[in-house]
Amino acid sequence: MRHAPLLVIAPLVIPVAQATEYFDTAGAQKALFPSATTFVDAKVHLTSDQRDKIKERSDVKQRWDEQPVWRVEKEGQFVGWYVEDRVIGKHEFIRYAAALSPDGRVLGIEIMEYLETYGDQIRQADWRGQFLGKTAQSTLDLGEDIKNISGATLSCRNITNGVKRLLALQQVALTKPAAAEVK
Amino acid sequence: MQTLNRSSIFGAASLGFMAFFSPPLIDRAEADENLFGYVLGAETLPKGASEMYLWATHRWDKGQGTYSAYDTELEYEYGVTSRFTASLALLGQFINTSGLVIDAYLPGAESYGLKFSGIEGKAKYNFLAPALDPIGLSMMFELHHSILDSHSGLDKDTTSAVTSLQLQKYFLDGQLVTVGNLGLEATYADRAPLNAATQSSADIAMQNLTGDPSATFEWPTDPEMEIELTTGAGLSYRFAPNWYVGAETQYQSEFETQVGQERYSWFAGPTLHYGGNKWWATLTFFKQLKGGREQYINQADTNLHLIEKTKNELRLKVGYNF
Repeated sequence: MRHAPLLVIAPLVIPVAQATEYFDTAGAQKALFPSATTFVDAKVHLTSDQRDKIKERSDVKQRWDEQPVWRVEKEGQFVGWYVEDRVIGKHEFIRYAAALSPDGRVLGIEIMEYLETYGDQIRQADWRGQFLGKTAQSTLDLGEDIKNISGATLSCRNITNGVKRLLALQQVALTKPAAAEVK
Repeated sequence: MQTLNRSSIFGAASLGFMAFFSPPLIDRAEADENLFGYVLGAETLPKGASEMYLWATHRWDKGQGTYSAYDTELEYEYGVTSRFTASLALLGQFINTSGLVIDAYLPGAESYGLKFSGIEGKAKYNFLAPALDPIGLSMMFELHHSILDSHSGLDKDTTSAVTSLQLQKYFLDGQLVTVGNLGLEATYADRAPLNAATQSSADIAMQNLTGDPSATFEWPTDPEMEIELTTGAGLSYRFAPNWYVGAETQYQSEFETQVGQERYSWFAGPTLHYGGNKWWATLTFFKQLKGGREQYINQADTNLHLIEKTKNELRLKVGYNF
């Protein structure tokens, strides 16, 4: 066979299925809002105009129309938004969740699924903690406001931009529920 | 012509020196995963990370007779800092050629399986990270020594030093990657004389080719020096998780003291890349689209350079991170 020597190493490259899911939705909700009593599905369907506004405010493209969002309540009080998102990693999507306060501050983020070669430190509390308290008015520059992780620069950049985008999405598409809506 | 004064040259040199040896302010390494077979990205390994590479390149078809050669490379790369990687490689080659004699390059049939052919060392320094800065920029220095001629398969000591620049730019959050390369290679080579039987059969082949009964096959054994300029570009798009498809191209031009531009060639082709958590692999088919300058006697396709190059190449690279 003409390319026989190449075939010798070809079996080495057969993809091996692997899955590293750190949190499912219920787990991430519990981690980000430990004292919450109710998570109300409030999935957002974005219009083209809203997607444009998100891009304008965050300088990050909103790639999809639907954004998974839950309204979070504690004993009948509205305490914030739980938002799930995904961003491009070097090989696969990185799934993460963000907790946002009613007034638009980051209460926390959790990495739900991360399959990249390097950068597991992204899941550590000190890296995620850099986002605490950030608002749509905060600067979120990788390397300055958010520390980069060697070997995972693209992942760090895209998660940082993702949080920036979610803060803009909250301003554009999430409105505080009226008192009667909250059970 | 505007000239640089001495202090500005000293200033630029000092800045370069400080940038190279100062500790990085920001960890900026990504991972030196090769999305392409021939052109290189600007990323380096993180500090303390290691990667093994296995390359195999099949070169075949010189337009006459049979020509099929494989180049193999087993390389270990280490992230010395988050900006600087160093690597060492063992080289090997297979060859099978017959029915083709090229004056001064290919004296006749040769066939053998895998043979050790040389060693290679590389050092790559990242100045700008593509995922952090507006554009990624690295410089690489390679030192290469081989004991076999990659064209004829015969004994030949070749030492090459290559200095190259790698540019890389991400688009669409990293879903689309573009790279550009520019390199300059200086080579010193020294061939062993042919044995009497090979010289004699090559002389007869030359007499048949030229119709001149006094023709002889030239096989210079004086050391030769050459300079080669290489430029290339590539574009790769992630069409599904873990999978990239792309295209790359490379132009090479070689210059020698006595003949000026000795050859040029322009290759291009598609690339398929798989990248996983630990393993990655890249397959590139490279076809010579245009080439020229020196040609062998009775070469049929005069739009290609087929003395030192072939019509087609296929390269498979496999990398393992640990």
